[in-house]
Amino acid sequence: MTGPTDTPRRGRRALRHLPLVVWLWILWILLWGSTGSTGPVVFAGGLLVAVAVVVSFPLPPLQPGAVPRPLRIGRLLAHLLTDIVGAGATVAWQALRHGRRTSTAIIEVPLRVDTDLLITLVAEVVTINPGTVVTEIDRRRGVLYVHALPIRDERDLARLREEVRAVERRVARAVGHSHGPDDREPAPGAPDGPQEQSREGER
Amino acid sequence: MTVVRDVVTAVLLPAGAVFCLLGALGLHRFPDTVSRLHAAAKAQTLGVLLVLVGAAAQMSPRHAPVLLLVALFQLFTVPITSQIIARTAYRTHGLDRDRLLRDELGDRLARDGTPVDAGDGAGRDDDAER
Amino acid sequence: MTVLYGVTLTVLAVAGLLTLLRLVRGPAALDRIMALDVLVTMVLAGTAVGMIARDDTTSAPVLVVVALLAFIGSVTAAHLIEKRKGMR
Repeated sequence: MTGPTDTPRRGRRALRHLPLVVWLWILWILLWGSTGSTGPVVFAGGLLVAVAVVVSFPLPPLQPGAVPRPLRIGRLLAHLLTDIVGAGATVAWQALRHGRRTSTAIIEVPLRVDTDLLITLVAEVVTINPGTVVTEIDRRRGVLYVHALPIRDERDLARLREEVRAVERRVARAVGHSHGPDDREPAPGAPDGPQEQSREGER
Repeated sequence: MTVVRDVVTAVLLPAGAVFCLLGALGLHRFPDTVSRLHAAAKAQTLGVLLVLVGAAAQMSPRHAPVLLLVALFQLFTVPITSQIIARTAYRTHGLDRDRLLRDELGDRLARDGTPVDAGDGAGRDDDAER
Repeated sequence: MTVLYGVTLTVLAVAGLLTLLRLVRGPAALDRIMALDVLVTMVLAGTAVGMIARDDTTSAPVLVVVALLAFIGSVTAAHLIEKRKGMR
């Protein structure tokens, strides 16, 4: 129904769009919410609209070589759920207890991951985590600047830095590169090398 | 079955409402924009998520997924909004920088020769001027 | 259950009033944007509670639209502020 699948390349490209089509289809069915006599019409219409949207608004490929690992993703999500609760409780306690006298800091955390997708995910998760909000993302250097809330001394700073790194490890393991970013050395001030590589990968 | 659902709702709804209230309190008690952002992004989001899940537990299986969808969208969009607001706040002096224990972003910008505060208060984002 | 819904909605209303106060007081435009965003999510939560209280779920899809519009609105407004500062 979508493009022809005569050449294997076209076929694979169509396959890459499949998750998005399925997601849009589910969304359509959920929002219509009808399973009665109009059910078949909604189903068919949803598939049609989903394919039309994906074909007419193509998105750039996400990340070459991203390997989702279901088990690790599950663990990441479990962490996320507990962290949401912890984050809410921490901030609420700070607001009640200290309020005006809360001390904060902005810390610099160099990242090891170097693709757009992973940096975005790490930034999202860090913002959901207790006590931290990403203030600035330096894409070129691969550095996150994180505003952290209850910071009283150097030990808190070190602890938060370690937490951001832990988040990065979890994310990288969940959807990381096939050649595992955690094997590589951290590259603090460095290079556009790996970035270039990730850009051209898909061609 | 309905008992379980009722208990879930009875726990989650008030808990969510209380977290919303605490988030709103944080909006008042924290000293600067970025700190207030913490209250908005965390306590508030947790509160709304709890209320939405608690409400979804009472709904028919046909409509409950829609509420869970709203919760999911909140979860994905709130960090993005927060990051953009935090970034803009830093650049428009929405942050009391004397209060920071450490400001490594400021250090970096100073090293790059592009500090934010060129002429104190020039870029300050108050509505008064507009 | 009715009492539960009433209590939840009351607490949400108080929280909404507090947020409204922040919306009025500012001081920066960003504070207002943030407060408005929070207020919209509170309305979202309140509407969800109202839906189950009245056992009427027809407006559920509206919540999805409102949630996404609030997101786009806040992001656009924050961008505008940054642009305005850059132009000066």
